[in-house]
Amino acid sequence: MTAAATSAERRPSRFNLGTIERRNLRWGLLFISPWLIGFVIFGIFPIVYTFYLSLTRYSGLRDPIFVGTANYERMLADPLFWKAAYNTLYYTLLAVPIGVVVAMLLAIAMNQKVKEVTVYRAIFYLPSILPVFAISFVFIVLLNPGYGLVNWLLTAVGLPSPNWLGDPAYTMIALVMIAQLGAGQWALVFLAGLRGIPTELYESAEIDGAGAFRKFKSITLPLMTPVILYDIIIGLSFGLQVFTSAFILTGGGSRGAAGPDNSLLTFVYYVYKQAFQFGAMGYAATLSVVLFIASVLLAGAVFRWARGWVFYGSEDA
Amino acid sequence: MTSSSRRSRSLVLGSLVALVVGACGPTASPGGSASPGSSAEPTPVTGASCASGATEVKFWTSHTPPDSDTLAKIVEAFNTANTDICVKMTIVPGGETDIAKLLTAIRGGVAPDVYMADRFTVPQRAEEGALDALPASSEAKKSEHVEFAWNETQYKGKTYALPFDTDARALWYNKDLITAAGEDPAQLDISKGAPTIELVTRIADKINKLDASGNYEIMGWMPGGPGDSGPGAFDQGWHYTWGFVHGGSFAEGCDVTPTNPGVVAGFQFLYDWQKAHDPQKVARWVTTNWPPQSPQQSFPFWTGKLGMTISGDWQIANAKKYAPNTNFGFTFIPVPKEGDETATWAGGWSMALIPNSKAKDQAVKFIEYATGPDGQRVYTKDTTHLPTLTALQQDASLFDEQHKVFLDLLPDAKNRPPLAVGGIYWDALTQAQGSVELNSKTPQEALEEVETTVQPRLDEVGC
Repeated sequence: MTAAATSAERRPSRFNLGTIERRNLRWGLLFISPWLIGFVIFGIFPIVYTFYLSLTRYSGLRDPIFVGTANYERMLADPLFWKAAYNTLYYTLLAVPIGVVVAMLLAIAMNQKVKEVTVYRAIFYLPSILPVFAISFVFIVLLNPGYGLVNWLLTAVGLPSPNWLGDPAYTMIALVMIAQLGAGQWALVFLAGLRGIPTELYESAEIDGAGAFRKFKSITLPLMTPVILYDIIIGLSFGLQVFTSAFILTGGGSRGAAGPDNSLLTFVYYVYKQAFQFGAMGYAATLSVVLFIASVLLAGAVFRWARGWVFYGSEDA
Repeated sequence: MTSSSRRSRSLVLGSLVALVVGACGPTASPGGSASPGSSAEPTPVTGASCASGATEVKFWTSHTPPDSDTLAKIVEAFNTANTDICVKMTIVPGGETDIAKLLTAIRGGVAPDVYMADRFTVPQRAEEGALDALPASSEAKKSEHVEFAWNETQYKGKTYALPFDTDARALWYNKDLITAAGEDPAQLDISKGAPTIELVTRIADKINKLDASGNYEIMGWMPGGPGDSGPGAFDQGWHYTWGFVHGGSFAEGCDVTPTNPGVVAGFQFLYDWQKAHDPQKVARWVTTNWPPQSPQQSFPFWTGKLGMTISGDWQIANAKKYAPNTNFGFTFIPVPKEGDETATWAGGWSMALIPNSKAKDQAVKFIEYATGPDGQRVYTKDTTHLPTLTALQQDASLFDEQHKVFLDLLPDAKNRPPLAVGGIYWDALTQAQGSVELNSKTPQEALEEVETTVQPRLDEVGC
C-alpha cells in the first residue's frame, strides 16, 4: 500500500476505525443522542446519586451528611429490612411462576379456532388495562371474609373461607391474586409466540400419532421457552418492585404497619416508608441500592439457569 | 463536503437539538413545578370568591369531611375578614405520620404555605426541615394555650406550629346493646368512677354474638385492634392508651422507654385479651365490618355491631349525625384494678408554616387566626373537639353536658412525648401492638424491638 492510498481503501486495524466507520459512528451516536442524553440524565445519574445518598444521613430537605457505611450496618440489624426482603421474595417466587402458567393458559385459549375468539381475547385482555389502584379497591370488597364474592364461592363448594386481608398467612396470596389480573397483557406476548410456531411441526406430530398433551410438551413448550424466559425476567423485575396494591390494601401506610404482622410490607413499600414517612432518604437510598444489586444478581442467575432449558431454534440438530 | 450534504447535516442536527430541548423541558427539570391549576395539583375547596389581586396563601390539610367542612368555614371567614388575602384550602392525601405529599411538594417547589400537622409530629418534621420556625408574634401566643399543647410545637427552642385543637378519650358504650344482653348499663355510669377491665370484659362478652360458622357477628368490646387498615387500634385503644392506663411512661429525657413496666403491662393486657377471644376471629370481624377505606357511616359502633369502644370527644358530633336514635353513654377508660387511678391522653393538631413560603406574613396571619379564638371557637362547636386556648376552655357556652365530661378529663390527661422521632416512635409502637395482638410476639419481645429501632434514630437527632 502506498502512502497516497485513499482513506476509503485504508484497511482499519483491530481497534482503530477507518474514516468511513468513524463517520458512521458519529452519525449513529448523533441519531441516538436524544435517548442517550435522557438515559444519562434520568437513568444513570439517579443511580449514581442514589449510591452517594446511601452513604449519607439525609431527610430529603436539609443537606446530606456523610456517614460512611452506617446505613448499611443499620440495615443488617433492621428486622423490618429482613421482613420486607422475605415478603418480596415470597411474593415474587409465588407470583412469577403462577403468572407464567396463567398467561400461557390464556394464550392457548386465545389461540383457539372459534368464531368469537376476538371477543374472548378482548375479555381476557381487558382487566390488564385497568389501573392497579382501582383493582385493589375492588378486591377489598371481593375479598371481604363475611360478604365477599370470593369467600361466597369457596363456601359454596365446601372450602374454607379465609380472612384474606386480616390473616398474615393469606395476605400475600391475595396480592398474588390481584397481580393475575394483569396476565392478559402477557397472554398477548405468549399468543404472538404461539402464532410463530410453524404449523407443519404440529401436522408432522399428528401424522406420527402425537396427542394434544404430547404436542404441547414436545413442540409448544420448547419453542415457547424464549418467551417464557422473557416473561420470567420481566415478572421478576415487577415482582421485586411490587408496591401499589400493597399500599392500597393497607390504607396507604397511615396505620404504621403494612398489613397484619407487616405481611404486606414489600421492599419498595419499605423504601417509600423510610423516604417519605420517616424522612430517612439516605437509608431509603441504601435499601434501593441493595434492591438494585439483588435484582441484577437474580436476573443473572435466571439467565444462567435458562441456558439449560431455553431453546432458540438455531442449534444444530 | 458538498453544500447539499452540509444542508442535510444542519437539518438533522437542528431537529435533534429541538428534540432534546423538547424532551428536557420544564416537566422534566429536577426543580420543575406544575403550573397552578394544572391537573397535577389538587383542586382547592375555598377561595373561589376572593378579590382579584389578593395575595394567595395555599393551605393543605389531610382532614376529610365532616371536619374539613368546618375548616373550610374557618378559611372562608378569614378570607371575608381579610380581603387582601386569599387562603385556598386543599384536601390532600396523608395522615398523622404520612406526609409524603408535603415532602415531595417541598422538594418539587410546589409546597403550600400552611400545613395542618398532627402536633406530636411537629418536632420530628422540624428536625427534617419540613417546617419553618414561626416569628416572634406567634411566640407571644404561648401563654394563651395549654402547656402540654404548646410544648409539642417546640423544637430546639423555636416554635414550629401553633396548636389548633385537642381531645380526650373515654369508654363509649351502647346502652341498648348492654340492656339487650341482660346487663344494666348503670354499672358503667360515670358517677361510679372508672370501671375495671374485668367488669367491662364481662359485660362485653355477654354482648358477643356468633354466627352459624362460629365467627363474631357482634362484638361487645374492642379494647385494642386491629383497625380498618391493619395493625393498631380499632378506634382509640392505642398503645399509648393502655400504656398510660397501666401507669407506664414512654420517654424519660432523651430516651424512649417502651420497655417501661407499665407499657409492657398495657401490651400484656392486649395480648391476653386477644388470646382469650381468638385473634383470628377478632381480625375477621374487623375485616368484615370495618374493611379498609370504609366511610364513617359504616363504623360498627354506629351500625350496632359493637357494644363498647375507646373513643374521643369528636364522636359526640358523629353520634348525632350517624346514630341519632341510639342511646350512648361514656365513662372513664377501664382500669386494671378497683380503685386504680384512671388515665386518658390528649392529642390534637396544629397549623405549621412551610419553608420558602412566598406569602409568609399572610400565612402567619392566617395561622394565628385559625388557631386563635375565632377559629378554635367554630371548630370546637362544630366538631366537638376541644380548644387548646385556656380562655375558650373556660367558656361554658361552647360545651354541652356531654362535651363537658371530656373537658373535665383534660387537666389530668397525659400526652405523647414531644420527641424528634414522634412519628417513627408511633409507627414502631403500632407495629408492636399488631404483633402482640396477633399473639405472634410477646410484649417484651415486641417492645424491645421498638427500642432497638427508635433509640438510635433519637440519638442521631438529639432532643
